[in-house]
Amino acid sequence: MSQMKVESLNNIDHKDVRIDTTKGASLGDKVMLSMLTLPEFRTAQAYYPVVLHKNAQTGEFYPVALFGFEAEENLFLQGDQWQAGYIPLYQQRGPFLIGQSNGQRVIHINMQHPRVNLDKGEPLFLEYGGYSPYLEQLVSVLETLHQGVEMNNHFIAALLELNLIESFSLEVQLDNHAKHQLLGFYTVNEKNLSELSAEQLAGLNQQGYLEAIYMMLASQSQFAKLVAMKNAQLALT
Amino acid sequence: MGNAQCNIVIVGGGSAGWLTAGILAAEYLHTPGIHITLIESSDISSIGVGEGTWPSMRTTLQRIGISETDLIRCCNASFKQGSLFRQWRNNDAQDLYHHPFSPPVAAAEFDIYPHWQPYQQQIDFAHAVSPQPRLIEAGLAPKQISTPEYAFVCNYGYHLDAGKFVELLRRHCTDKLAVRHIIDNVIAVHGQPDAPIRAVQTEQHGEISGELFIDCSGFAALLIEQHFKIGLHQQNKVLFNDTALAVQVPYTDPQQPIASATLSSARQAGWIWDIGLQNRRGVGYVYSSAHTSDEAAQQTLSKYIGEQGQDLSFRKIPIRSGYRQKLWHHNCVAIGLSAGFVEPLEASALVLIELSARFVAEQLPLKGTDLSLVRDRFNSTFAYRWQQIVDFLKLHYVLSSRDDSDYWQDNRQPDSIPDSLQHLLTFWQHNMPSRYDFPHAEEMFPSASFQYIYYGMGKHSQLTARQSIQRYQQRAQEEFRQTAQKARQLVSQLPGNRALIEKIQAHGLQTL
Repeated sequence: MSQMKVESLNNIDHKDVRIDTTKGASLGDKVMLSMLTLPEFRTAQAYYPVVLHKNAQTGEFYPVALFGFEAEENLFLQGDQWQAGYIPLYQQRGPFLIGQSNGQRVIHINMQHPRVNLDKGEPLFLEYGGYSPYLEQLVSVLETLHQGVEMNNHFIAALLELNLIESFSLEVQLDNHAKHQLLGFYTVNEKNLSELSAEQLAGLNQQGYLEAIYMMLASQSQFAKLVAMKNAQLALT
Repeated sequence: MGNAQCNIVIVGGGSAGWLTAGILAAEYLHTPGIHITLIESSDISSIGVGEGTWPSMRTTLQRIGISETDLIRCCNASFKQGSLFRQWRNNDAQDLYHHPFSPPVAAAEFDIYPHWQPYQQQIDFAHAVSPQPRLIEAGLAPKQISTPEYAFVCNYGYHLDAGKFVELLRRHCTDKLAVRHIIDNVIAVHGQPDAPIRAVQTEQHGEISGELFIDCSGFAALLIEQHFKIGLHQQNKVLFNDTALAVQVPYTDPQQPIASATLSSARQAGWIWDIGLQNRRGVGYVYSSAHTSDEAAQQTLSKYIGEQGQDLSFRKIPIRSGYRQKLWHHNCVAIGLSAGFVEPLEASALVLIELSARFVAEQLPLKGTDLSLVRDRFNSTFAYRWQQIVDFLKLHYVLSSRDDSDYWQDNRQPDSIPDSLQHLLTFWQHNMPSRYDFPHAEEMFPSASFQYIYYGMGKHSQLTARQSIQRYQQRAQEEFRQTAQKARQLVSQLPGNRALIEKIQAHGLQTL
């Protein structure tokens, strides 16, 4: 997805466009992480480690679900199967983005995205120009994402305010003795969390942040599963 | 001084006064009984030219509790990775060398200089031993937007607007660090000339008494000179420059790159500084009035600036090189310009303030110890530091082979070279500048700095083959290879100096 050709979505230019919704490395699924929004934490933590990462363009923290240990490694992707009960919305959105036009939020499409084609997959528009059920559903995904990013920003600000973020590095020793070091990720500082006052905890709880914090902590057990998946993959090669 | 009350009174509110106030106040914020007062005249404007700091400023600001994001946003600050010297060796168009802030690779383990000697025709010393010169030449920043505040990819300090820096410090000291701020003129000093100062008399706030007085009153030196009559060790026989012409040069294009090093260009009777801030460059010619006229100096500076130089107004600043014969007398410490001044060739002004204030903050006896013991240590430490700065600055001149004016020839006259420097120069003919020359724990300029200048200026040391050198032969080759590789990698990863500053303006830096 290095190349982008972003267009404002409309039923004239994009009348015949279809979106390939199958899974696959060539379809943009070979990624090591995806942005995750706060309301997704509970579901996502059942499958993925949920940690914080920095946006390379702004340096700002944002939550992610981890799929692998290095760039372009998605251990959940096996051929055309994504082996998890939940895929983060940001990854689900495929070629679509939210853009601005005259102060209004509008849907943009990246025509260079590998899922975009004219033969295969879900149509975007109905015969007379109305949204297809697929597009209707995507609109709601994008809307949820948009609100989720706002919530993320407030959540991160609250964590920073209370000094609850710490960096961690994870050294993984694999069965074949190879070592992987996971750098540049952050999680909840449990020591500082345990020292919060009742009032501070109540504040976090009211905003739903306390649950999110514990979902992140609970998700750390998924690292063991990720290591097992990596070992299983190595055993096959 | 006992463990009772201690009132520290700082006289003067420029960078020296407010930096000192910040450093002391941060140290004593939670110590009961210690109160810091700063008396600032409303009449005196501070000498604000664009200023360069050392990497030490990062630690200093962190201690004071100022966020790096605020520094970048409030002070037009940019990142400085070292100094770039042009036309210092021989006046050729290609004549340049670097003094980067990162030490030579593996410097903590061994000196790499002898291993570079065979390659001197292919690559200069600084490029061979540090990736930083490449970054400076590419105008890149020393870190990324995702690098936390005060952390670095390559070591750095700042270029900043000193006037705005003072405003930021003043706000922080009064809002957060409980520094008492009095705007008034000091009109008299109470105390005998051979005894501690009891109080200072102000116009509107009466007597301000204290146990320790810090003279940050600039060239006026109200306490140390006007009251105590402590004179200067003049250095004008060593460092000839006695005048500066300063000018602010706006960027012609708001996207013009910001240099990430101080550019220092030698001229016939001195040298020109060029410091890139966010909104403008600060440029100035420091020269010896005995070797050129003011008119000729103006022309030299105009020519350097180019077309733009015609419409700008130059400010003339007299320079008096030297330092106080005694920096701490009775209960009065001189910090800043009152302590002394040398030309800003290695940006030593702010770092001396930081070091002096930190010494006072950390060594001030809170109970028991006699003040005179601390005072004596301060005096011997800082007399050494000042003399080392003088030697180090002079080193830049004596190694030059420029022959195009009396100025450069006079600078190499043996009687203008301090004995301490002459001794080192003789020694370095057959030895490297090393930690044996500069054995103090906190040297102003470590041996690495002397190596960058000495070898950058094209000098060599005729070393004897030794096991302590041969042992690192292979290791050194590996370090050279890795340095080159790291430079290539960093050039592709780091943003431009201006690009990073714009990102910080928009998003701020994270604290972790």
